[in-house]
Amino acid sequence: MALVRWNPSREVASFPSDIFNIQQEINRMFDNFFRGWKEEDTSLSTWAPAVDIAEQNDAYIVKVELPGVNKDDVKVTLENNVLTIRGEKKLEKEIKKEDYHRIERSYGSFNRSFTLPSTVKSDKIDASYKDGVLTITLPKAEEAKPKQIDVKVK
Amino acid sequence: MAKGTLTSLVPYVTPALVRQEISERIVPPVTDIYETADAFVVKLDLPGANKDSIKLHIESNTLVVQAEVKSEEEKFLVYSEIGKKRYYREFNLGDGIDTENVTAQFEDGVLTITLPKTEKVKAREIKIQ
Repeated sequence: MALVRWNPSREVASFPSDIFNIQQEINRMFDNFFRGWKEEDTSLSTWAPAVDIAEQNDAYIVKVELPGVNKDDVKVTLENNVLTIRGEKKLEKEIKKEDYHRIERSYGSFNRSFTLPSTVKSDKIDASYKDGVLTITLPKAEEAKPKQIDVKVK
Repeated sequence: MAKGTLTSLVPYVTPALVRQEISERIVPPVTDIYETADAFVVKLDLPGANKDSIKLHIESNTLVVQAEVKSEEEKFLVYSEIGKKRYYREFNLGDGIDTENVTAQFEDGVLTITLPKTEKVKAREIKIQ
């Protein structure tokens, strides 16, 4: 039997065409996976801060982790019984992107919403910010008064 | 008040609350590291950490950061993504860091550690003759 020079392209061509689809699939998976990485464009990404909700006899307490967020950049609103915490964490402007060795912290706008039970005194909601944690206290009530209010962050 | 009403507090689609009876998790805080002309700056998110509980030490080129989070409402949690935790993370330090003059400050849940460069590694402008 004569030796035939191995031509890799011939071998590839004989593969079922599915193999190229698999390649595309893998590329797509990688693209999706790395899209979540902060390197891409931190100024445009959105993130969801971690939340704990506790119940006490007289109130619900919502804790939101917002480290390094200026409290003036946080907005807490209540509309149709939906409590929304939104805002933005900005990258430090004085530091150039190329000076970063590692960016793991979240930047950009954030948004969390919760439907409240109708038993919350919507006009007595209180919010305070300490050590990077926003604490919202929602006193329980017999009846709810549906209306939109802005909650001041202390 | 009936606990049943609480389901409406929870967001529409959420991971289930894992009731690992308040077992404490050790969480590595997320960290940004950037470089200035004189120093490396390490910023760690330590939300909820008690300032007095933050421990920072350098031992043979390893920087160790740890902090405790105090939580009074943990027993009443109905939905939890934060839970009970403490922070711990180590960083390897290369040569060229002046470990004697490291400073740190804690503000709004963010610990900022400034690690000054030694004179050797500071960028210098070289005059072209």
